[in-house]
Amino acid sequence: MGDAIVMQGITKTFGPKVAVRDMELRVPEGALYGFIGPNGAGKTTTIRMIMSIIFPDAGRISVLGRPSAVESKDRIGYLPEERGVYKKMRVGAFLKLIGRLKGMGGHDLDRRVRDWLERVDLGDTYRKRCEELSKGMQQKVQFIASVLHEPDLVILDEPFSGLDPVNMRLLRDLFLEQHRSGRTLIFSTHVMHQAEQLCDHIIMINRGNKVLDAPLAEIRSRFDPKTIVFEPLDVGRADVVGGLPGVRALSYVNGLHEVSLEEGAEATGVMRRIMEATPVTRIELRRPTLEDVFIDIVQQDEAGDLDEAQLRAELRDGAAEPTGAEA
Amino acid sequence: MMQKVFAVAAREFTSTVMTKAFVIGAFVIPGVFVAVIPLIVKMTAQAKSPPLVGTVAVIDRSGAAADAIREELSPAGLARRIAEGNEELQRIVQQFGGDFGPALDNPAVQAAMAQAFGEAPELTVEVLPPGTAPEEVQPRLKPANAGQEGSLVALAVIAPDAVERPPGAGAFGGFELFVRAKTDDRNIDHIRTGVRRAILAERYRIAGVNAAELGALTNVAVDRKEITDSGEARASTAELNMMLPFGFMLLLMMSVMVGGQYLLTTTIEEKSSRVVEVLLSAVSPMQLMTGKIIGQMGVGMVLLGVYASVGIAALSTFAVLDLITLDKIAYLVIYFVLAYFIIASLMAAIGASVNELREAQSLMGPVMLVIMLPYLFWLPITRDPNSTLALVLSMVPPMSPFAMIVRITSTEPPPVWQVWLSIAITAVAAYGCVWFAAKVFRVGLLMYGKPPNFKTLIRWVRMA
Repeated sequence: MGDAIVMQGITKTFGPKVAVRDMELRVPEGALYGFIGPNGAGKTTTIRMIMSIIFPDAGRISVLGRPSAVESKDRIGYLPEERGVYKKMRVGAFLKLIGRLKGMGGHDLDRRVRDWLERVDLGDTYRKRCEELSKGMQQKVQFIASVLHEPDLVILDEPFSGLDPVNMRLLRDLFLEQHRSGRTLIFSTHVMHQAEQLCDHIIMINRGNKVLDAPLAEIRSRFDPKTIVFEPLDVGRADVVGGLPGVRALSYVNGLHEVSLEEGAEATGVMRRIMEATPVTRIELRRPTLEDVFIDIVQQDEAGDLDEAQLRAELRDGAAEPTGAEA
Repeated sequence: MMQKVFAVAAREFTSTVMTKAFVIGAFVIPGVFVAVIPLIVKMTAQAKSPPLVGTVAVIDRSGAAADAIREELSPAGLARRIAEGNEELQRIVQQFGGDFGPALDNPAVQAAMAQAFGEAPELTVEVLPPGTAPEEVQPRLKPANAGQEGSLVALAVIAPDAVERPPGAGAFGGFELFVRAKTDDRNIDHIRTGVRRAILAERYRIAGVNAAELGALTNVAVDRKEITDSGEARASTAELNMMLPFGFMLLLMMSVMVGGQYLLTTTIEEKSSRVVEVLLSAVSPMQLMTGKIIGQMGVGMVLLGVYASVGIAALSTFAVLDLITLDKIAYLVIYFVLAYFIIASLMAAIGASVNELREAQSLMGPVMLVIMLPYLFWLPITRDPNSTLALVLSMVPPMSPFAMIVRITSTEPPPVWQVWLSIAITAVAAYGCVWFAAKVFRVGLLMYGKPPNFKTLIRWVRMA
């Protein structure tokens, strides 16, 4: 199997700001890749360059074996982050227009549009105007627009933003179905746990740099656990844990006591000391989340000036929706 | 590749033309205007203003005109005046032995009077002593006194030498006319003409001149005809010769502007509704812009076609169709395409670089101003189509299409080499505009935030 996308030494600047720096990237055919990173990290810029919507200042890109996506646009499905519909156009007509722009034609097109609308529970909207649809419904229409022409490569930029849990699950199932039928899937998100639920492989981007490029399973095994979670039998005695050697901090989150380990502390040793200090009903070494991994990497990168709480909030979808292009 | 361009163009065209706003704006409103104008003209003609009933006072210091004035302002005098130059009426009056009094009851005479006056005025003439000072009488003319006993519509003061001049004097005297304010112009006209004719009639009589003979002697009939290429002779089209270039220019301007304006609006809409990146995932910016420009060119052509057909139909009903030759139509189409590409590409660039219509206004201002220049200068250009002003305007884009179409359709068309030179220059400019717009379009489409100034636009062009 070849590579669906290859990026070599890609750099893109907007005025004084470096949006993407010296990016090296390889996405094999049939893979399910997640681009993750906080807002403004360079995810959308990277994706736009893959789509040949903007062009890099330096470096080479190959998409589906061609030097530019312009030549293979009809084989790519793209759900942009900045997505919209023609407000006055009817849903069916809009999807057929996008289909035609993707090189489809004939009676087949109309049938496929109707099939897809049925599949996402929008069968009765064929003749409605796009502006009459809710935001979530519009998002489903846009998703159809990106996969209607049965592309080999599907790129979804922040596909879940603004969706309710029901539609999020529906959309996620549709992605996985696309993936199972052998398509290469890339999606970007600033919400780490979404990537954790979906991807085989993670590309982490921060401030225009690729900081991590590894399969999800490998990430989990590579990064040492840094957190121990426990429930003390006697809640009043939990505080003594804070003074134990190897413990950097003790906090109480969602009904559980969380112990952050000091750099270099041995996890099993600390666990044993906690159990000696206070009887527990439950204690476990928590698997590092992508969020932890990300924070860890960023901390190594730029020790000091980092607001961890704010960054964590951003990575948990607490941050405001991104507005405007990263230009 | 072309399939995508046409898909964009087809959407652009149908989404513009298939709206109520377009149909109403482009066809219904002008249609209603065209249908209503003759109706209004007819209604105004038929509208009967209430007849003017009142008294005209005369201070006749010449002592010779009063009776003639009384006769002229009577209904019979009125009828006679209308009958001059109206053979049909004269024929009817002949049946009454030339006497207008009894002829007044004839429906044809009444109809003619009604057409001239609405309801014919009913005037009484009050002759005042020659020594009366006008100031004494003037208060009776105040509009506030209208309808009251002794009120006046007008006061004519005839000069002593109005009918007979002293020996050796060159000019005759005239008369002063005081009228009540707020009196219908048509009625004042009627009174003035009546007094004037009465004085003239007396002068002729005293001089022993036969008035009819004098009229015949001084009247020289001119019947101007034009010989067309087909050898046919017809009435002069002098006014049309002035209006035709204006019509052509207006048609060109309108069709170009409407297409350009729609292009601006749809581009801004695509950008602000964020549909543009969805489109860009399927087509290149160049394909998108080309498709949009072609689609709106279709809109402009529909307008051009419809209005040109109406114009041609109008000209052919007046049998002056030969004023429009095939080459003029061909030039119109060529200049439409060139002017359209210049304006449309600028509009596409402006639309792509702003976020909303309001921000576009400041960028559009200069473009509009330059394009409107030929509109301001059409009269001098038509009057002297080969002046330096006309030559310069018809060579410098973006004014050139409009100025040159005025020259081409004027009575003195420019030499063919000038036309083709202008077309060549304009084509180069159109190419430049499209090139510029393509760059701005590509960069601008995905730029949100502060609308660019001119310097930023130049930077974008360098960037793309």
